[in-house]
Formats: sequence, structure tokens, C-alpha cells
Amino acid sequence: MTDAGFEAFLDAADRDGALAETRARAETASRRRLLGMAAAGAGALALTRASGARAARLAASDVDILNYALVLEYLQATFYTEAERSGALTGKTAQAARVVGATERAHVKAFLQLLGSQAVKRPTFNFEGTTEQQRPFLKTAVALEDLAVAAYKGQAPKLRSNAVLAAAVGIHSVEARHAAWMRQLFGITPAVNAFDKPASRKSVGRLVASTHFISATPRMKRRNKPGFTG
Amino acid sequence: MRRAVPDIEVHERKLGASSLSRRALLGAGAAGAVVTVPVVGRLLRLGDALSAPSKAQDVKILQLVLQVEYTQVAFYEEALAQAQLSGDVREFAQRALGHERQHLAAVKKALGSKAGAKPRFAFGDKTKNARAFMRAAIQLEDIAVAGYNGQAANLTKGTLAVAAEIVSVEARHAAWVRALAGEVAAPEPVDHPMTAQQAAAGLRALGVRS
Repeated sequence: MTDAGFEAFLDAADRDGALAETRARAETASRRRLLGMAAAGAGALALTRASGARAARLAASDVDILNYALVLEYLQATFYTEAERSGALTGKTAQAARVVGATERAHVKAFLQLLGSQAVKRPTFNFEGTTEQQRPFLKTAVALEDLAVAAYKGQAPKLRSNAVLAAAVGIHSVEARHAAWMRQLFGITPAVNAFDKPASRKSVGRLVASTHFISATPRMKRRNKPGFTG
Repeated sequence: MRRAVPDIEVHERKLGASSLSRRALLGAGAAGAVVTVPVVGRLLRLGDALSAPSKAQDVKILQLVLQVEYTQVAFYEEALAQAQLSGDVREFAQRALGHERQHLAAVKKALGSKAGAKPRFAFGDKTKNARAFMRAAIQLEDIAVAGYNGQAANLTKGTLAVAAEIVSVEARHAAWVRALAGEVAAPEPVDHPMTAQQAAAGLRALGVRS
């Protein structure tokens, strides 16, 4: 699917208008940054439009979960992009890495659009050679995809916005497809158990930390921290 | 290997303190909603009419899920008996059947006495040779994924947590059989949901007759 298709999906899923509103605010913010004070008029217009619609804002907890998902998507997207660029992959594995990489990049882009100025920055990654050889690549891809499935599953019931939930479950099952695909290419059973287990944020964090793939921690820009957490 | 219902218990224990899964799933069945004989056609009432999540609504949605799981079990059973599957494709069908039986048992247990009857099936050529089987399996698993995803916002959070453990396994099956069929295993960046009506229509097109 193209980015436009993804956008259309998010729009279709956006029954309560929260996503559009968040995006409108993000666009307003970036326009302001770009054009400075001169853009005040356009910014005001966008805000008016957004609040004219039922201005349901994303809950702080949803923003937090989306940022957590964004870090996992950054991790995956960077991993596949780097593997693709290394030129080490061949045959079906190279094809899968291209398709999956494009998808993970689309996920990153969608979350960035949703979160706008509230998005965490891309961390610095170091995949320690796993992107430069086919077997280590596949083994790592299996781990990252299984982790993403478990991570989304752990957060889905906590989401408050139905629009964000619709997007999250649609991504969750795609990550499961990726996991099965990478497992098949690696030569292990694509679907081991009848029930896939969720993973808590804590255990996902521990696992990611144990890989040392993230070499610099993302931080929210101070000025974008919420004024209060009421 | 087959532990019909205890699976959820084992699973829950592994989750530690969480009491979400089994209680939620069983709680849905215990809710006092009156559910009529759940044939696929009746499921057409689901969808637009849905309101805020409730245990009673979970029961209605679980009836759709039950139909999906009945269909998958019947489909894989018939294909294993009639499609002369061999090698990797046979292994896939056996694994998938094992999973679907466990899903079916869990959903049946959740619904208890409210569980609808098994529909009749007419899969035709779809279970008669490996190529046709793989094509139909892709469709069936995709319907399961889209059907579950389409109900996510309609379920109570506890039942959603359990459904999420099933839907990703259906997605794995879909990718697995696509890879075996020589197709791109995950062709879309996001899975589009189906309404209950669309899922029911998809099941009918595959041969569910109720």
C-alpha cells in the first residue's frame, strides 16, 4: 500500500476525529515553526477547523503508547534499511527485507504524522553487524518481529482512542505476518503456539536493552512536555 | 500437545498476576445476554448497531468468532483428509488445525451454553487439491484477521486482550501459507478491518452454509 493508502486507512479508522485533530495540530505546529510569526493566520485557520470538528484530543497515555510504538518502529525500520543497504541479503530474504522495510518505514511515517511535535526523536542505533550477514539478519528479524507483536498486544487494551486502537490492531497483525515470514525464511515454525503472548513494556524494554541496538536514548524535547498531567 | 481448554490457564499462569484472559473470556459467557441461534446470517445484525463495549456485546461478537473458528477447523480437517497434502503444506495444515481447535475450544468455553451450533459446510474444490487449498486458506485466514481486527473497539478490554492473542496467530497462518504458495507473505503495511457483515459474507463465499 502506498502512503496515500495508509493515510486513507487512518482516515477511515478515525471515527472520533482524534487522529485528524492531532494531525491538524501537528501541521499547525510545523507550519508555525517553518514560517514563524507570518504563519499565524494559517495556523489559526487550521486550529479553527480542527476545533470546529468534535475536537477529541488524544489522551496523554495514548501519546505515550504511540511514542513507545514509534521507538519500536524506528528500530525495525532502521534495521531493515541498513540490511538492505549492506547488500548482504540475497534471494527471497532480500525480497522480504525490501517489502518489510518499506512497511516499517510507512509505520514510522504514520506515527510521526499522528504525533507531530509530540513524537520522540529517532534514537541512534548500532546493530552490531547483524545487518551484514544473512543468517544473523534473519535471526534478529525474527526476534524483532516477535517482540513487536508481543509489544503491540500488550498495549492494545490500554489504548483509549478507538481510532488509535484501530490503527494499532491493523499494524499488530501485520507485524505477526512479518514474524511468520522471517521465521519461515530462517527455517523455523512460523506459528508455534495457538495463543501469542503479550509482553509488558518493562519486559520489552529489558529485551531491547539487552541487544544494545539502541546506542542513544530518545528524549522528548523539553518544550513539548505537557504542562500538566492531570 | 493438545490441551483443549487448559491452554488458557497455562497461558494465564505464564502471564503472572494478570487475570485478564480466562476470567474475561469466561465472564463474557456468563453475562446474561439472550443470544439466539447464531447462524451466520444472524450475525448480519452485528456491526453498525454495536454500541459501547459490554459483556453482553462480547457474547454477540464471540458468536461471530465462533463461526470463524468452526469454519477453520472444518476446513483444515477436510483438506487434510481430501487434498492429498504433503511436505511443508501438510505440516502447515496440521499445525494450523491444532491451533484452530484450541481457539474453538476456548471460544466455546467462553460462551458456555450460549455457544451456537456448528454450521454446515460446502467447501467444494477448495479442499480437493493443494493449490486450491492454499488459495482458500489465505482467504480464510485473512478473513479471520480482518474479522477480529474489525471488532477490536467493540470488545471489552479483557476480551480484546484474549482476542489479540488469537488474531496474531491467524495472521501468522496467513503469512505462512502465502509463503508456501510463493506469494509475498505480508503484502500490506496495515491490515484493513472487516465489519461483521463483511466477515460473514466472506465465510459464506468460502462455503459456510447455515
